[in-house]
Amino acid sequence: MDTSQYLEIFLDETKEHLQNLNTQIMELEQNPENMDTINEIFRAAHSLKGMAGTMGYKRMQNLTHDMENVFSEVRNGTFKVQPDMIDVLFKCLDALEEYLANIQQTTEEGTNDNDELIKILNDILKNNGEVKPSSDSPATEEKKAEQPAEAPSGDASGASREKWHEIKIGDTEKMLIEKANSEGLKVYGVSVYVEEACVLKAARAFLVFKALEKLGEIIVSSPTAQDIEDERFELSFSLIFISGNTRDEVIAAIKSVSEIEEALCEEYKTEAPAQAAAPEQEKAAEKASESKPAAAPSPKPAATSAASAKPASGGGNKPAAKPVVNRTVRVDIEKLDNLMNLVSELIIAKNSLVAATAAEGKDNNSAVNEQIEYLESVTTNLHESVMKVRMVPIESVVAKFPRMIRDLSKKLDKKMELYMTGEDTELDRTVVDEIGDPLMHMLRNSADHGLEPNDVRVANGKPEVGSIFLDAYQDGNNVVISVRDDGGGVNIEAVKNKAIERGTITPEQAENMTEKEVIDLLFLPSFSTAKKVSDVSGRGVGLDVVKSKIESLSGEVEVKNKFGEGSSWIIRLPLTLAIIQALMVVVGDEKYAIALGSIQTIEDVSPSDIKLVQAKEVIHIRGTVIPIIRLNKVLDIESTADESKNLTVIIVKKGDKQAGLVVDELIGQQEVVIKSMGKYIKVPKIISGATILGNGDVALILDANALI
Amino acid sequence: MDEVKVMDEQKRNESLNRPVERDTTQYIVTQLGNEQYGIDIKYISNIVRMQKITRVPKVYGYIKGVINLRGEVIPTISLRLKMGLPEDEITKKTRIIILKLEQHESIGVLVDEVKEVVTLDDEHVERVSYDKDDKAKFLSGVGKYDGKLISLLDITAVLSDVVDA
Repeated sequence: MDTSQYLEIFLDETKEHLQNLNTQIMELEQNPENMDTINEIFRAAHSLKGMAGTMGYKRMQNLTHDMENVFSEVRNGTFKVQPDMIDVLFKCLDALEEYLANIQQTTEEGTNDNDELIKILNDILKNNGEVKPSSDSPATEEKKAEQPAEAPSGDASGASREKWHEIKIGDTEKMLIEKANSEGLKVYGVSVYVEEACVLKAARAFLVFKALEKLGEIIVSSPTAQDIEDERFELSFSLIFISGNTRDEVIAAIKSVSEIEEALCEEYKTEAPAQAAAPEQEKAAEKASESKPAAAPSPKPAATSAASAKPASGGGNKPAAKPVVNRTVRVDIEKLDNLMNLVSELIIAKNSLVAATAAEGKDNNSAVNEQIEYLESVTTNLHESVMKVRMVPIESVVAKFPRMIRDLSKKLDKKMELYMTGEDTELDRTVVDEIGDPLMHMLRNSADHGLEPNDVRVANGKPEVGSIFLDAYQDGNNVVISVRDDGGGVNIEAVKNKAIERGTITPEQAENMTEKEVIDLLFLPSFSTAKKVSDVSGRGVGLDVVKSKIESLSGEVEVKNKFGEGSSWIIRLPLTLAIIQALMVVVGDEKYAIALGSIQTIEDVSPSDIKLVQAKEVIHIRGTVIPIIRLNKVLDIESTADESKNLTVIIVKKGDKQAGLVVDELIGQQEVVIKSMGKYIKVPKIISGATILGNGDVALILDANALI
Repeated sequence: MDEVKVMDEQKRNESLNRPVERDTTQYIVTQLGNEQYGIDIKYISNIVRMQKITRVPKVYGYIKGVINLRGEVIPTISLRLKMGLPEDEITKKTRIIILKLEQHESIGVLVDEVKEVVTLDDEHVERVSYDKDDKAKFLSGVGKYDGKLISLLDITAVLSDVVDA
């Protein structure tokens, strides 16, 4: 069967599952007893196995199969999670990621069998959770016994294939069965095996259900109907079925569905003798659940059909950790871009309409104005909705960091913890895709350079375990992501010495440099203060890349440093790259747009209030001295404003710096669509783009950040 | 009107079922001051009337600014200033020729007037001798047509200079 068309979905979903596994195993390391986590891990591993199997990636399937077995035993309480086991599991995940990377590049999984990992996993099973090899133990046989049941190709005995014996029945089902018996209807136990190559198992199962429902009533199924619908089952499912038809008719009905390998059907006896053959433990579990059927999640039985052996009826029995079915659609980003462009055009057209009616004068129809206002609010909402569609939480990027820090902690032999907040902060999809690498660089930096070794920390009176904080939050039209550590901070002198040694600056220059200027040196290409090059950091290909990446996203990096107490690296990114709210201003006879996000206030300043400090014009506003920039000079144009009259000053901020921009006139707030100006002309830094006004003219967008 | 002319030429070729021969090139003849310049038609995507050009500060003088061409922002240069001629005088005949080189984005070129489309055989084109002064380096040759001399612009050279600048 050609599965290539599903490859993309497979890749996407596998990535999600792997990320989920990473997160959950991290969680497990913290709380080895947490049943919810273990269940979640089991489920993710199980889905991975199924998906890999469907796509024909045997090696991947084998590895996940063995991982699943380990989780299965943990879940059954056979043994407990141990730190060594976590390490092994992480190695498995790395191996899986390797497969995935191979698949992504070549559509083949590669030839690495990872025998070692599989062996370790099997040893764990043999030794009841101990990560060391030893001779056989009963657990092995138990496991061996399970395997054939999972692989339907094997000629397993009929009893183990007739899985309906494993279905637990509650009081309601018993009543139904008794009622059916008294009415002369027959009760069947049915096990259906789907062909291994079947791609749409859920659809097949659905058709089987449909076919059976024509003949009678399905009283319970295993896995539950919901799980089957979500394709959360192996190659088989079982059900108990009441019907007046004969056994052969039932089998024929099931077989009428294609891609069904085998259908087993026998009359169901309430006290099935086969159950005695089931493993001891399972029986115990069953008894427990039968004796108090109303109790919440019954202990999970041990068999391979473990996940499936839950009573279908009785909603109260559903496990709490069951993931909510996402009502989402995957959309190609190009389609969204297209939609976004259309919205942009619509906004331009709307602006033209506004301009046209304004030009008509006062005597225009108020009804038209009303409609235009309505149109305005609709386009604004439309724009916001489209923007929101493009927004994704940064979670998808930051979720891999706890694992990274854990690994770094081991590699660097430093104890550290990562604390994250604001993972749900949303950013434009294109930005989120790009932000991962810079953040990773910064976290590595903090872990390697920022945090001191544990003994130094203790000597300095700090807690032994270092802390790294990753905080994300929205600030106006920006999203701020800061990476902070409680380490030693940047050693200004060390950086200076290094820079002098490298010839970047002269000792004289170093004398006069401010702390900020010194820190800026760190962002120069190939500058690293790490004493030795490690594979964590130290090659000096970090911060300059970080900076240029962030700047290419129209963002900026700021550093706050306190020597001895740690440093924080703050990234500020625009929420969106396409449409912004802007203030339109006039300078000379030209119109310019200034992004509203950078504007703090607008002041009316008398010319006499302008003072000179070091030959620079400043104004004094509410206790702060703010330098002013005359835009007409920056833009080489004659000002049209009357010199003697009050000046209109727009106070803009960049980080904690402020500046006042003097303009001739204010036009008003407007939504502007940012257009690229092409590559033919090298646009000065103070111009961040162009936009098309309602009357069709082009106005340039000033970048307040570059002016300060 | 200018566009119509271009169309006419092409249509005539089509209607006569006359394949454009390999050794002929079509040029759009433009007027700059007293001189006539030819631009290879294959680079031209559009010719528009003069419209408002938004000045971009702090760029080279020959870059006049940006225009709005159906929602696209397109930089526009003055061919006059580029060729070392006096500043443009905007008249009714002033046109902006929108050029599009293969991998590059569109760019507008300001000219005094667009005259006509001519088809020149290679034998009517004289390659310029190698006294490459400022102006000559932008020329690919001189064409003779109807008793007039037309300087043929090497658009790639003109624009590569802009890109590098």
